[in-house]
Amino acid sequence: MPIRENILTSATARDKYIRGVKLLKNEFPGPTTASLGIGGPASLVSTYDLFVVWHHVAMTTFTPPTQNDRNAAHRGPVFLPWHRFMLLQLEMNLQRILGSDSAFGLPYWDWAQDGELSPVRQRTAAIWARNCMGGSGMPVTTGPFVFDSADPGSWRVRVAASVNGQLIQVNRGLRRRLGAPVQGLSETNRLPRKAHTATALNQPIFDAAPWSTASAGFRNLVEGWQNQPQIPSPSLHNRVHVFVGGDMSPSTSPNDPVFYLNHCNVDRIWERWMQPPPAGHGRVYAPAQSESARLKGHRLNDTLNSLLSGSTTPAEMLDVSEFYTYDSLNA
Amino acid sequence: MPGKNSIRKPTIKSISSNVEKHASQVEEAQGNQHMMSETIREADYEGHHIIVRTTYQIEVDGTPVTGHMGVTDDGKVHYHPVPNMSFASALDMVKQLIDIFPDDFNHTRPMPGMHADHKAKTRPGARPASTARTKKTARKTHAADK
Repeated sequence: MPIRENILTSATARDKYIRGVKLLKNEFPGPTTASLGIGGPASLVSTYDLFVVWHHVAMTTFTPPTQNDRNAAHRGPVFLPWHRFMLLQLEMNLQRILGSDSAFGLPYWDWAQDGELSPVRQRTAAIWARNCMGGSGMPVTTGPFVFDSADPGSWRVRVAASVNGQLIQVNRGLRRRLGAPVQGLSETNRLPRKAHTATALNQPIFDAAPWSTASAGFRNLVEGWQNQPQIPSPSLHNRVHVFVGGDMSPSTSPNDPVFYLNHCNVDRIWERWMQPPPAGHGRVYAPAQSESARLKGHRLNDTLNSLLSGSTTPAEMLDVSEFYTYDSLNA
Repeated sequence: MPGKNSIRKPTIKSISSNVEKHASQVEEAQGNQHMMSETIREADYEGHHIIVRTTYQIEVDGTPVTGHMGVTDDGKVHYHPVPNMSFASALDMVKQLIDIFPDDFNHTRPMPGMHADHKAKTRPGARPASTARTKKTARKTHAADK
């Protein structure tokens, strides 16, 4: 049974994760940019980059198409089960490419722990060390994901979103702007804090009408849209994307391996929320299948599509104890 | 894999066949461009039905920005290719786009010595030739469920 561990306390999980994503980045199962409708010369698309494409497509699929808030993976109730499904698919592919290492579990980044540091120290925390995720830069210049144009095995971004929302081919290094100023963000660009996750865990309901970025409840707070007096939006999950910046900003944010460390921590927080009372609130989900068809894609038994695998449902994602556990649910 | 869940372990072959099956969804998503995004917000109040239509047309250095943009009920704007932020100001949003997508704006930067106002005056309502053929690509969306 895989145990998902803190990347800062398990060197084994950290090193396997880095090795695994690099292997997936250079594995080409057959699909090409041409077969996916991505312009330019036909190029093979790696397994890792197929996850980037999958995330982008889900994000550009409105659910339903007659509104412009919820999409197939975000801004609605399905945010948590959809990303749990994505992480499971990546984890199983990492197990495969690491040599049928069925004990491997995705590591998580407890970003709220780093959020207790001063804003300056947040940008130089252990997660950004050379032996972990590497640091900041356009492109990054330290760590395992440094780009070397002469080395085809070095980490490179090959598929990215353009400003107009289309997938395009690129060939460049990974970009991060850790803690850089953000237009429209009046306060310092910093990570969420422990008090923020505690507030999210105390939310008594999972989600509520209008099932969007305007909803009350746990999902909308942990996703990062809900404004609380001490937690202005963007918060929690969204705030981590904004803090890292660069390739973590657009719809192709899985280009940065930090994406999965962020979402693994979000998944861990959700798992904590679903613990039996009084520690949590139980394995409950909303909206029920009996809710309006206008919520199709977000109801309990609706289909969650994958680009790389068969489909699942939110209901199937509520209890995944047969797949993995966490070393700690202290958030 | 045994168990109550339908998820199966992946193989290179299964990845290839599933991507082939779903490739059309990627191609479809590639077609989502809009010269003008219109958001329709609706509400009922004191027996009255309210409709607010909001449209934005954005240009940077005369080049249209054509990703999908929306307005939520609280009046904040969001831009689909930047999924983790909403903005109180559309101008702040576009500034952030320039920071996030620097490669898309390098070629539109005015030449040194050319004042932005001068450029605007010489190109009133200009559209690049590559997009001028698009007569109507507005997308109408409803911001709120009733």
